[in-house]
Amino acid sequence: MDDRDLQIRNHVYRRFVELGRAPTFAELKDELGDEAKPALGRLHNAHALVLEPDRTEIRMANPFSAVPTPYRVEAGGRSWYGNCAWDAFGIPAALHVDGHVSSACPDCGEPIEIDIRDERPLPGEHVFHVAVPAAHWWDDIVFT
Amino acid sequence: MNLFRSEEHVGRWLDENGYEAGETISAGKLSELAHAWWSDRLAPGWRPHTRDQNQAILDRLGLTGSFWQLP
Repeated sequence: MDDRDLQIRNHVYRRFVELGRAPTFAELKDELGDEAKPALGRLHNAHALVLEPDRTEIRMANPFSAVPTPYRVEAGGRSWYGNCAWDAFGIPAALHVDGHVSSACPDCGEPIEIDIRDERPLPGEHVFHVAVPAAHWWDDIVFT
Repeated sequence: MNLFRSEEHVGRWLDENGYEAGETISAGKLSELAHAWWSDRLAPGWRPHTRDQNQAILDRLGLTGSFWQLP
């Protein structure tokens, strides 16, 4: 990843936060020109962001998800989706604000509502399960 | 990577779906991990974490053993 790709990556993240959603390829082409598309491909290959399988739009700018997920987050006066529970907790961390994570227990379906204040979850009795060993997280980043 | 109400709920979900168990940590540990992993993500001078930097985060939080070894 060279310095220009890093600048484009930072532009994508800045626009994601400004817009409260992923910038579209069309918007990025308007803002960055023809270099946007090949740069996004390189950033995807470097795991700096994740494109949709057909590479037409952004799927993840971790911890942010461009599509709705079971992990909704309120933080910084906006609603977001995390790609998973780890990312959901990561959104207030990335924004450096308190937040609130809403989800449901995959076992029983009961709502899970967690405030994150001063980097701590309230209440704290919930648990986080990782299904896939770290060595294989990027084999299929959508299922971990 | 899912949140559950308790370890009991994790166990039942694994059994009912025929999934192999992974690793389970507390929400408090997850919050520590998330802050260590993501807090620099929007910094103007962000650089990609190296594999060793990420492994050091896991190690520092006590997430050790083969399950938590990055490739």
